[in-house]
Amino acid sequence: MFFRYHRIAMIIIACCFLGLTAFESIAHGVDDNTRLFLQQNTGIQFFPFLYIGAKHMVTGYDHLLFLLGVIFFLYKSKDILVYVSLFTLGHSITLLLGVIANLQVNAYLIDAIIGLSVVYKGFDNLGGFQRLLGVNPNAKLAVLIFGLFHGLGLATKLQEFQLPEEGLWTNLIAFNIGVELGQFAALTLILLVISFWRKFASFQYFSTASNTLLMSAGMMLIGFQLTGYFVMN
Amino acid sequence: MQHTLSNKALLQATLIALVIAATVLVSFILPVEYNIDPTGLGTKLGLTALANTDSTINTNAGDEAKESGLTTPLNVAENTNIDATDIMHIIVPANRGIEYKFAMQKFKKMTYQWQTEGTALFFDLHGEPEGDTSGYYESYAITTADEMKGSFTTPFAGVHGWYWKNTSDQEVTIKLTVSGEYTVIGLKK
Repeated sequence: MFFRYHRIAMIIIACCFLGLTAFESIAHGVDDNTRLFLQQNTGIQFFPFLYIGAKHMVTGYDHLLFLLGVIFFLYKSKDILVYVSLFTLGHSITLLLGVIANLQVNAYLIDAIIGLSVVYKGFDNLGGFQRLLGVNPNAKLAVLIFGLFHGLGLATKLQEFQLPEEGLWTNLIAFNIGVELGQFAALTLILLVISFWRKFASFQYFSTASNTLLMSAGMMLIGFQLTGYFVMN
Repeated sequence: MQHTLSNKALLQATLIALVIAATVLVSFILPVEYNIDPTGLGTKLGLTALANTDSTINTNAGDEAKESGLTTPLNVAENTNIDATDIMHIIVPANRGIEYKFAMQKFKKMTYQWQTEGTALFFDLHGEPEGDTSGYYESYAITTADEMKGSFTTPFAGVHGWYWKNTSDQEVTIKLTVSGEYTVIGLKK
């Protein structure tokens, strides 16, 4: 009874948090100040772009949820490094190529796919694919592929500003480095919390609940973005 | 890695995830983000008001916004009096930028005149097409000045108006006089 009570309380708290606060941060594109900056400045802007990239990652709950799912059951630092590098490789490729090749993808659809990546990882953590298919899909390959989609999402948002050609490469690379720095900062925090939590028995008790919630958050993202796609187009 | 869940537990977890997601989406997220409120809970909690102050114009924001009076949606602009004239005083706080907007139909004209008490402001007079979500906008005039007089005809239906930036350490009051076929939206949040 004790655990059941706590589980429900935790689910409620998490829901309130997700529903009321998380969606207030920048879901689409960039905030007003950033936007004005991008409109008014041309040429090479290394550190501003670095900052925008980092901020986008730290406040981008969709990217963070996916990363949380990826490292949830990774105990060895080597594994964490490998998986995060694969994710980084994936999103760097599409971020750079997407902007350079002027690849236009609908932001709502790409964000829905990012939501799907969160659902996928939650389901995977629950052992869902093992149960359904009898085998675990290649987790490394999955992280790489979803990394490609996350990068495409970043590229789509950057392109909303019709970036000037002048200094584009430098700005892009600055943005990408910023994304990695932001990811590193966010990841460090997530890892600290998760490693601390792992020391307690509650981690095992709640791992199912946590991944269920992760799936649920991903589903919310999908619903949120798909509704946007149909309403706004 | 945790143990693989039993079929029953897996199904249960997936169903719980779906139910939570659907509930939060329908009751909170959709009302706030898109003003879609099937349960009526969004209106009850005052969440739909958030959707109406959003800078993006929702396609079906009409009725709610009229009641709350928070914004004037585009579809009201069709009933706008021809050649309305308005004089407004807009305060731009020190070191801040603000946006002041009007909803206008396609090919409608606005004649305007504005001046500050002497402080020059950077401004961007521009329009954003209705229903556009890509962040696209078209600028009609960009410069730094303490007054300007002119007119424009909208190339598309949407939200048109000024962005003013005050780089001084004192607040600046702009006196703006406009006439034409428009509906005042006012200060963007």
